[in-house]
Amino acid sequence: MTTLTELGTLDVLEAEAVHVIRECAAECERPALLFSGGKDSIVLAHLAIKAFAPAGLPFPLMHVDTGHNFPEVIEYRDRYVADIDERLIVASVQDSIDQGRVQDEVGPRSSRNRLQTTTLLDAIAEHRFDACFGGARRDEERSRAKERFFSHRDAFGQWDPRNQRPEPWTIYNTKLRAGEHFRVFPLSNWTEIDIWAYIEQEGLRLPSIYFSHEREIFERDGMLLAAVEEVERYPHETVRVETVRFRTVGDMSCTGSILSTAATVAEVLQETRDSDISERGASRADDKTSEAAMEDRKRNGYF
Amino acid sequence: MSVETPMLHVVAVGSVDDGKSTLIGRLLHDTGHLTTDQIEAVAEASRKRGRKGIDLALLTDGLRAEREQGITIDVAYRSFDANGRRILLGDAPGHVQYTRNMVTAAAGADAAILLVDAKNGTTAQTRRHLAICGMLGVRDVIACVNKIDLVDYDEARFHEIAAELVQSSAAIDGPRITAIPLSALNGVNLTVRSPETPWYEGPTVLDVLHDLDPPVVETAFRMPVQWVVRHDDGERDIRGLAGRIDSGAVTVGDDIVALPSGATSRIARVDVLGDERESATAPLSVTLHLETDIDVSRGDVIALASAPPQVASRLRATVAWLDEQPLTVPARLEARQGARTVPVIVEELHERLELDTMEHIPADVLETNDLGIITLRAAQPMVLEPYGENRAMGSMVLIDPATNRTVAAVMVDQVLAEA
Ligand SMILES: Nc1nc2c(ncn2[C@@H]2O[C@H](COP(=O)(O)OP(=O)(O)O)[C@@H](O)[C@H]2O)c(=O)[nH]1
Ligand SMILES: [Mg+2]
Repeated sequence: MTTLTELGTLDVLEAEAVHVIRECAAECERPALLFSGGKDSIVLAHLAIKAFAPAGLPFPLMHVDTGHNFPEVIEYRDRYVADIDERLIVASVQDSIDQGRVQDEVGPRSSRNRLQTTTLLDAIAEHRFDACFGGARRDEERSRAKERFFSHRDAFGQWDPRNQRPEPWTIYNTKLRAGEHFRVFPLSNWTEIDIWAYIEQEGLRLPSIYFSHEREIFERDGMLLAAVEEVERYPHETVRVETVRFRTVGDMSCTGSILSTAATVAEVLQETRDSDISERGASRADDKTSEAAMEDRKRNGYF
Repeated sequence: MSVETPMLHVVAVGSVDDGKSTLIGRLLHDTGHLTTDQIEAVAEASRKRGRKGIDLALLTDGLRAEREQGITIDVAYRSFDANGRRILLGDAPGHVQYTRNMVTAAAGADAAILLVDAKNGTTAQTRRHLAICGMLGVRDVIACVNKIDLVDYDEARFHEIAAELVQSSAAIDGPRITAIPLSALNGVNLTVRSPETPWYEGPTVLDVLHDLDPPVVETAFRMPVQWVVRHDDGERDIRGLAGRIDSGAVTVGDDIVALPSGATSRIARVDVLGDERESATAPLSVTLHLETDIDVSRGDVIALASAPPQVASRLRATVAWLDEQPLTVPARLEARQGARTVPVIVEELHERLELDTMEHIPADVLETNDLGIITLRAAQPMVLEPYGENRAMGSMVLIDPATNRTVAAVMVDQVLAEA
């Protein structure tokens, strides 16, 4: 037993996130937690487990699987879900393609990133989810910096950034009409460094691709993409082996790695503190297509 | 018993175009909070718009519509580390039309940075934002007389505007004012004192941010119950009351009361997210275990038995009306406070506050973005305190059940006896 101690930033962020998670679980009928096996969703799941312990989670996890995920991440996902003994729903982009809901892109620039939106919205409709927890942070991207904790989506899954609900203090309006849902972002105020510091503090395990390893890569638009069968290369794009790690986990077609020898959480934390490049700048090809690429995807129902 | 919270909420407010977004962009830039690629992206966006140099306002004006129109529509939040503390910076919109978003950003803020254009002087919107900050209990206002470069760094002009702001705030018993002559664009007195204003010997904006007092946390223990954790571990049925401590601290052995029922018990265990402690303080999220099984459910408030808040169903309050549909009485709405939603009736609308002059004017309608004084009656007893005594127990939002819109932010002025 300890007495009152000086609080740290992580204590306050943790308390805030848990407050939001509990509000959503209490007010919404059928929430789900979007779990990608990435560091943010791992932190989010950990916080959710803490929020309701010793009881189990009052909602399932859901993964939108593009079919082009890193195998290490899928392996991690399955082991993690078995360890925590909770329910995982997998919504598969491949199924959406097979059912003709979306059409797979072809060619070297193809990506299943955009296709995920349909799979996600279909799964939300199928399971009648009225809230999806996401691990997005305001420091990630400029349109995310605008988002509320409880972000309202209409019956078409759309976000209307010009008409968001007021959210004064920490009081959330959780009212919905049929077919609408919320995206709920408990980690809104966390930074990438906070995430790593928390992973260190809580001793969380992560997929191996977050740590330095040797990998066959090729270069495109200044990004180091994994040389794998699922990502088609132009003839001039030559493959070499480098010592890399990933700062984010996403679809293999649009997630770049960085040169790094950081092999432990402490080393990654230090490297992140010293870094002169943002997380998305280092690793996301999908945002480079236009200035408002993320906002446009979000408006249509993306994560 | 108080603990320092290492997190402060600061919001930039003031009229359109007075330099809020530029200040935030420049502040983050000059303190090394931007990465190379973020700076490059802003530079690229500036070039595209034909700007000379780099327009740092484009950092927070992240929505397409904002960039197209060169305005701020909704709040952007950015984290900022200062002096070992985390500051969450909100960049609020200045347009009257988007006041609801400004209220969102200012509610819960510990301090505000209020920008005034040195050439144009204070406007009705400057005073409106100052008044809203005052009403929301924002303690400190860093009043920046901005674009001082456009008035040739004129000392007299600075003092004139500073005096006006100090007077406006005093008239409403508003926030403490620290005035600074500033050029957000050129970084004058933002993070370093500049030779352009040799006559100014006060702090920079960054100095003031470093020295801000820690957030006010009221000392009386209050915790709304968000969720009852039930778990049978094989030996016994565990029942924990999960919530976030809004104010004060709680210690094992404390005698508590659950409100509105009035049932009493004693704290047996304090569980801080898996960590068993002797006591815990605001703003931590905890699960409390009581010595006896009393009837407690979501929405109830746990308080120290020796210093409980009031239970009542009528109150007088200041409202910020945020909806496009005006308020007329009687209005049937829902109040969301703590972890509870209660049907309410706005019985009376007493006055509207003329923000420009801070006069109270009799009124029978509140239009969008008006502030007014109302009497509210709740269908069920609520746990209440004046906003000035306890922010969490004294604040609520009103929701129109017909549209689901959040129509008002409410601050309790007075808890009333039954009519
Ligand atoms: N000359 C001058 N212009 C400024 C200064 N600060 C901001 N501006 C300009 O004023 C305009 C409005 O700035 P912005 O930050 O968007 O204002 P906001 O509406 O309060 O966010 C922009 O064109 C800025 O470049 C300043 O200190 N000096
Ligand atoms: Mg602005």
